[in-house]
This record gives sequence, C-alpha cells and structure tokens, in this order.
Amino acid sequence: MRPPSLRVVHILLALSSGDQHGYAIKQEVEKVTGGDIRLGPGTLYEAIQRLEEDGLIEEASSPADPPHRRTYRLTFAGRAALRVELRRYGAVLEHARAISPGLIDP
Amino acid sequence: MNARLAIYRLLMRAYPAPFRRRFALELESAFLAARSEPRYARRGGGVLFWAETLIDLCLSASRQRSRQLMTIFWSSRSPSRNKVDTMLHDLRHALRLIVRQPAFSAAAVLSLALGIGGSSLIYGLVDGLVLHPFPYPDPDRLVSVGVAFPRQSSELRFIETLSPAEYFDFKKMRSFGLTTAFDLGNRNVSGGDEPERLFTALLLDDPFEVIGMRPVLGRGFSAPELGPNGPPVAIISHRIWQSRFAADSQIIGRAIRIGGQAATVVGVMPPGLLLLGTDLWIPWGGDPAMMPRNVRQFTVLARLRPGSDLREANAELAAVAGRVDQEFRGQFREYEGWRLEARPWAAVVSASLRDAAFVLFGAVLFVLLIACANVGNLLLARAAAHQRDVAMRLALGAARWRVARELLSESLLLATIGAAAGLALADAGLAIAPQFLPAQVLSLAPTLSTSTRVVAFGLALAIVSAIVIGLIPVVRAWRTSPRAWLSAEGRSATGGRGVVRLRQAFIVAEVALAVALLAGAGLLVRSFMRVQTIDLGFDPSDVLTMRLTLPREKYQGEVVNQFFNAALDRIRALPGVERASAASQYPPMGAFETSVEIEGQDPGEARPNSLITVVTPEYFTTMGSLLKAGRPFDARDTLRAPPVVSVNEAFAKRYLRTEPFIGRRLGIGPPRPNRPWAEIVSVVADTRNRGARAPVAPEFFMPMEQQLMWNQVFLLVRAHGDAPALLPAVRREILALDPEQPVYAISTLEESLRTALFPQRISLVLIGLFAVIALVLAAIGVYGVMSYGVATRTREIGIRMALGADPRSVVRLIVRQAIAVVSLGLALGLTLALFAGRALSTLLVDVTPRDPATLAAVSAVLAAVALAAGYLPARRAVRVDPSAALRHD
Repeated sequence: MRPPSLRVVHILLALSSGDQHGYAIKQEVEKVTGGDIRLGPGTLYEAIQRLEEDGLIEEASSPADPPHRRTYRLTFAGRAALRVELRRYGAVLEHARAISPGLIDP
Repeated sequence: MNARLAIYRLLMRAYPAPFRRRFALELESAFLAARSEPRYARRGGGVLFWAETLIDLCLSASRQRSRQLMTIFWSSRSPSRNKVDTMLHDLRHALRLIVRQPAFSAAAVLSLALGIGGSSLIYGLVDGLVLHPFPYPDPDRLVSVGVAFPRQSSELRFIETLSPAEYFDFKKMRSFGLTTAFDLGNRNVSGGDEPERLFTALLLDDPFEVIGMRPVLGRGFSAPELGPNGPPVAIISHRIWQSRFAADSQIIGRAIRIGGQAATVVGVMPPGLLLLGTDLWIPWGGDPAMMPRNVRQFTVLARLRPGSDLREANAELAAVAGRVDQEFRGQFREYEGWRLEARPWAAVVSASLRDAAFVLFGAVLFVLLIACANVGNLLLARAAAHQRDVAMRLALGAARWRVARELLSESLLLATIGAAAGLALADAGLAIAPQFLPAQVLSLAPTLSTSTRVVAFGLALAIVSAIVIGLIPVVRAWRTSPRAWLSAEGRSATGGRGVVRLRQAFIVAEVALAVALLAGAGLLVRSFMRVQTIDLGFDPSDVLTMRLTLPREKYQGEVVNQFFNAALDRIRALPGVERASAASQYPPMGAFETSVEIEGQDPGEARPNSLITVVTPEYFTTMGSLLKAGRPFDARDTLRAPPVVSVNEAFAKRYLRTEPFIGRRLGIGPPRPNRPWAEIVSVVADTRNRGARAPVAPEFFMPMEQQLMWNQVFLLVRAHGDAPALLPAVRREILALDPEQPVYAISTLEESLRTALFPQRISLVLIGLFAVIALVLAAIGVYGVMSYGVATRTREIGIRMALGADPRSVVRLIVRQAIAVVSLGLALGLTLALFAGRALSTLLVDVTPRDPATLAAVSAVLAAVALAAGYLPARRAVRVDPSAALRHD
C-alpha cells in the first residue's frame, strides 16, 4: 500500500488528541501547518470518506448531534497506522541529523 | 436562501451521488464557515475564496468520479462471476440485441462505417502523403534547410535555393550529423533501346546515409567518388532498374551512357527511396570552391545529431546567417537580414498538400460526428422504449452498473463492426487512390497503404464513437428510478420529455454540422467557378507541351538554336499543327527569376525581381496572348543585333511606373562589367504566370535568337483540335534530327493548369461528397425524430381530428416543431461555418468564407431537405383513421 500523504497524517494527528468534527479538523490542520496545507471542503470530506472506508477513523457522533456536525474518532487501526507513519518520519529525521547536523538545526 | 450557498449546492452536483448523500450537509457548513475565515476578510478575499473553492471542488470531484468509474466497471461486485465471464456475457447479450433488430443494426453500422471508414481513408491519405510520406527511419529528425532573402522576397524556400559555399557555412554545425546537398537536373540516358530522360540528383555528399537507406544491390558512393573530378559513377532507382534494365542482377559494374558519356553503375536503391522523384544519382563532380556564393541551386538534407533538436539547429543556423551577413554583405547585398531555417523534410515535401489535407480531415470528422449523432439518436429512441425493462430489472435487484455495462457493450460492438466495415472501405479507397492523384504528388510519396497507424486510428475512432453514442443511454439507465417507472406515470411510452429534448439536441447538432460542411463545399464550388472564369491572359486549349534538353557535350553555341529552329520548322509543317514555338517556361510554371536593373534607377534602390522567360517570336501568338504596345520580336532580333526585351503589364506598372515604357532599357541579372542594356520594344498583356490562384508576377521576355545559354526549352504546339494526338508525329520529327534526343515532361497547357489546381479540385470533390453524405444523414435524422414524435402523438392527433380539426392545421402543428429544431441547427451551423471557413481560406480564390450568396443557398437547400423530412411523417399522421388512433396505446 502507498504510504499516506502528509495531509492524511495531519488529519490523523488532529484526531489523536480527541474526537473532532470535520471543520474543526480543517482548522486544526491549517493552524498547525501555518496554512501550508489547506483543506477545502471537498478535499476534507473526500479524505474523511477514504479514511472511513479504510477503517482508520469512524464516526463518533451520537444521534443527538445535528447531522452537519458529525464528529469523527481515530480507530485502533488508525492510531496504529499513525504511529507507524510517525516512526518513519522519525527515522528520516534521525538519519538526516546523523549525516548532516546543520541541515535541520542551523 | 443565501445565494452563495445556492451556487455551491449547484456546484456540488459535480460529486457522485453517494458522496453527496453522505456529506452534503457537512460540505455546506464547512463551505459557509470557511467564508468567514480572517484570510478572506481582506480586499479581494471574495475572489480568493471562490478560486480556492473551485480548485478544491474540481480536484476532489474529478478524483471521486474517476474512482467511481473504476469501481463501476471492473470491480467484481457480482460474486458468482469473474471478469472474463461477465465480459463474455455482455458481449453475447449485445450480439443478441444486434441480431434481433437487423434493420436498426444495419442503419447504425452503415452510418458508423461511413463515418469511421471515411475518416480512416482521409487519415490514410494524410498520413501517407503529409505526415509520414517516406518509409525512412526516424523521419522527424530528417530536416531540410530553407532560405529567405527579405531583399528579394520574404518566402522561405527549400528546393534548389542554396549555393555550395552557403552549404559549407553550416554543414559542420554541432546540431547536424550527416548532411547532403544536391542539385536537380535531367540527364539523357542512352544505350540499349530508346533514349530516356531521367530526373537526376547531382550530389555533393552521400544522401543515402543521411536518409538512412542502403542500396539493395551494390554500394553507396565513396568519398573520392563524390569529390571534385571523381570517376564517373552512378546509382539508379529501383524503378529504373526494373523498367529500363529488366531488374538485371548483373547491373553492378556495368557502364551506362549518361549525357553521351559512360558511367559505371555502382548501386541500386530500394523502391522506398524517394528524393523528389529523382531516378538517377550521380556525383556533382565539380569543385565547390569554384562556385560563386550567389549561384544557388542546391537542396540540403541533414540529420539532427542525437540529443539535439530542431530548435537548437535553428538557433545555430541563425548564428551562421548572422556571421555570413556580417562578412559578405558588402559583396552580396541580398545577405542583409537573410534567414536560414531547418524544417522536417516531410513537411517541406508535402507543403502544397498540407492545407488541403487538414481541411479534408476536419471535414470528414464532421461526417463522423453526424454519423454518431444519428446512431446515438437511434439508440436513444430504443432505450426509451426499453426503459420499462430496465426499471423492472433494477426493481428485481439487478445492479445498475450491470445494466449500464450491457448498454455500453452494445454500442461498443456496433462501433467495432462499423469500424471493421469502415476499415475495409478505407483499404479499398487507399488502393484505388493513386489513380486519382497526379503523378507529381505520387512521385513524392508512394506509401499509401492501410498501415498499422491507419488501423489503430480506425479502432480508436470506434472506441470514441462507442462512448459518444452509448453514453447517453447509459446515463439514462443509470438514473432510472425503478419505482417511478413501474408506477403509473412511467407507463406512457413517449420516453418522457427528457428523451425528446435530447433527441432534438442531436438533430440540432446534426443539422449544424451538415450546414457547416455544405457551406464549405459551397464555398469551394464558388471559388472553383471563379477560377474557371478567371481571365488567364492566354488560351490554354489545344496546346501540346514537351521539354527538350540538348546535352552540352553535343550541342554548343549557335548550334543549339539552329537545332530548335529546325525542329520547329519541321513541326509547323505537320498536318494539324496551327502554330509552334519554344520557351524556357510557360504559365503556370513561373520558375526562372532574376534581378533586373532599370536604366536610370537610383543606385541605392533595391534591384527588383522578375520572371525571365526566353521565347521564340511565335510564342505570343501560340499562347494567344495580346501585344499591348510596341512591336513583336522578329527576324531583326538576331545575336548580332542590339538586345531587346518585352515586358508584361505587371512589370511596366510596378517597376517602370511612368510612360513611356517602350524604348527604356534594362540591365539583366547581377551587375557585371560590360553588361549590355536591353531595350524594351513591347509591352504584352498579363498572363496568370504563377497559376490562376496567384497574382500576376512581373515578367520579361527575351528572344531566343539573342541567347546562347538556353539548351533546355519547352516546345509549345497549338493544334487544330486534338493536341495530344500530335505527339507521335512531333516525336518522329525530333528523332529525325537526332535519334539520341528524347522529349519528356509531355503535357498540355490545360493539364498543367489542372495539376496546379489539384489541391482545390480534390478538396472540392471530397468535401462535396462529405456534404452530400452529411445532408442525407441529417435528413434521415430529422425524419426519424419527426416520425417518432408523430407515432407517440397518434392518440392526440386522433382526438384532434375526431373533434374536427383541419388536417392542414395538424400538419402545421407538427411541421412547426421541425422548423424550430432545424432553424436552431441552421443558426448554429452558420456560426460554425464562419469559423470553419477560415480554415478553408487558403484554398479559396476571390471568395471570402463569409460569402453571403453561398451561405444563403446552403441554408435554403438544408431547410428544404429538412422540412421535407419533417413533412412526410406529418402527412402520414393526418391520414390516420381517428377511431384507430383513439385505440392506439
């Protein structure tokens, strides 16, 4: 399987600290990345649909919630996938520090 | 409601329905919330917001849609079958459908066969004549170098345009690999039976390696053979090897006689080697260093070096041109601002056909579109009738994608059968096409065949047509709601308003395309009529022409003219000959040009260019062209008499400008010491010396008696009646004077004019044919939709008639519908014709693409045909017996 895109990793990260509704995920991701990653409505819900289909997130809303504020939560598989992915990034960082320390922290 | 939201809701339709159902509310709230973000609060924020929203929408919607397509067609959601089984099942189903309705299928297949076959045929012609005219390896990297001297003319010319010195200026360029330059000429080849005149290339470097072909027999030329004063050797074409030497495998090493001198044959080239129609290749033989820079008669071919491209080559050529300009401008003023440019050889060779080829290609694609619209129409009518079956199957649990795939399989199968029939048609067409092409065109490119490219093109068209004709029924089946169709409202068999609209849209498209094609054909017809009535300035009927070249080895000095005069005297004495004369060129050839100086002209002024034609005095009477002022050439104008010239009116008006014209003097050719002045003794009427389509070029004439250089002339023989019948007698007279002397390039004035107009004529014939097919298809389409409309309204018509409606008013009611559809189609078609007409403009003479008369006539024809097609079903409708109509379900 292809590794998830940076966008997906950020969405998963946004959900790692607690359940969120769609628009809050978008705001969180845009804030954390300083606007480098923008999630338009279509892109956002497309990603959510995909992650749901892959079983990495699931709907967490109760029937009481209004339908336009459905919230999502990370599944067990989603959390595991995020961990694997972050380790991969960690390994890259470590390697970069080892071969060229000035590259990252000047 | 919020207008912004309304727009967004509309845009959201771009998403597939399941996605929309699931996320609509969330998408909307995210959209609304985003608008209030601070980054959109600045000036221009609204624009930014919408831009970002649209980009987001387009990207995600297209991803979603493509995902959807993938899953619809190739996921194995049907559990019991694998993919191959399902495909076979679909095919069988489609085949059953096709066999069960032979009339429908035949109509569909025939339409598609005409559309796809016609397109493939034209593609085959375009491919064989224009895109890939030769079977050479890597043809796109084979280039020619053209030159333009803006001081003389801005036209870029490629054939016989460079001097050896100029060739050596850029031969060693980095982006060129192997190069060659050759001069074209004709050589008498004798020995064996009749003497023959062969079109010959005289080579500075080996062209065969540049082209990338090896001899089938023997070898290519060696470097010493190509150098100055090398041994006499020759390589011959496959054609000549077969026709003249009976494919003799012992030919290598044998001597043949070229221009009276022996030369050894060292190689025979394969049949695919074409160099502008030459059949004999010999080393140029001279020393290029001795050739002046401004004697330009070489054509250049070069291979781009691996890794470099046309752009680099042209940049280098521009640098070379600049350097030469700097260095030689003082000596050769034409270098000022001159331009060198490399172009693919294929494009150079087929330049004259290019415009016509692409216009035809566009026209035939119109026919294909019309055919698709027709078949789509038929399928749609049937799909409407089958809608209830579809609804039933959906209600019983069939997957939508299964139903859709079956429908698409059917259109694909129809298109494939149509393509097979069409390709057979194209194959037959390509096989007989050479009979309709002038020899001149064929000698440039003989590779007309149903190549794999043509087949691939036909199949690609089949797939595209299948999608075009099948898409709408598929989409409709996809959208069918089982509940609605099984309930009472679905019972009526009209197919609903939607289907009627769609079918009318198809008709509008068909009519529009047919109008555009008819307009194109009409414009070409008008232009052709104009050309026929253009005053050529001479009478082209009943004049036999042929060329005669006296070899320098045998004929020199005054002997040349003595031979021509003797030959003309003998010809004039033949029965059936009215007049005979000789000339170095005749309309529409316009090949020989020179610069002239008008006595008294300001020395700083550029020297004008003019056609230069050497003639015997009878030339003007033979051609039937008029003397406007002065005296004709006559016996006074001998070699020892003061030189005289005659100019045409265009020359007088453009270069002499003010009267008197007679008595002024010209210096002919580049300035040189002791260049004599030639006195103008007459002005002759203009002739269309560059063909009927081109404006008259300035031209001057010199009496042949006063010239010694011209050993190559055309004989023009005006006959009482049948000109070609004179040929054997004329030939006998020439052979009586010299049994080794061939005549060649035999033609008539009329035929030369026809050949020059070939691109126009072939476009006219083919576009005319396409337009007729288009008209018939469009009429069938209108008829189909109207009779379908009448059939579904039989009940309504019956009621009207039973209530005492006037039959004429009923006819009017139905025809009015046809009028609405046809007028919309006409309006669109005329707009389209105005745009498409621009593509035609290079083929038109004295007719603008907006020619109102043509457009009006075309509209009238189409309206008449379409209304007739609409009137027939209407007539049938009012003949219906009202009581029968009322029982009609």
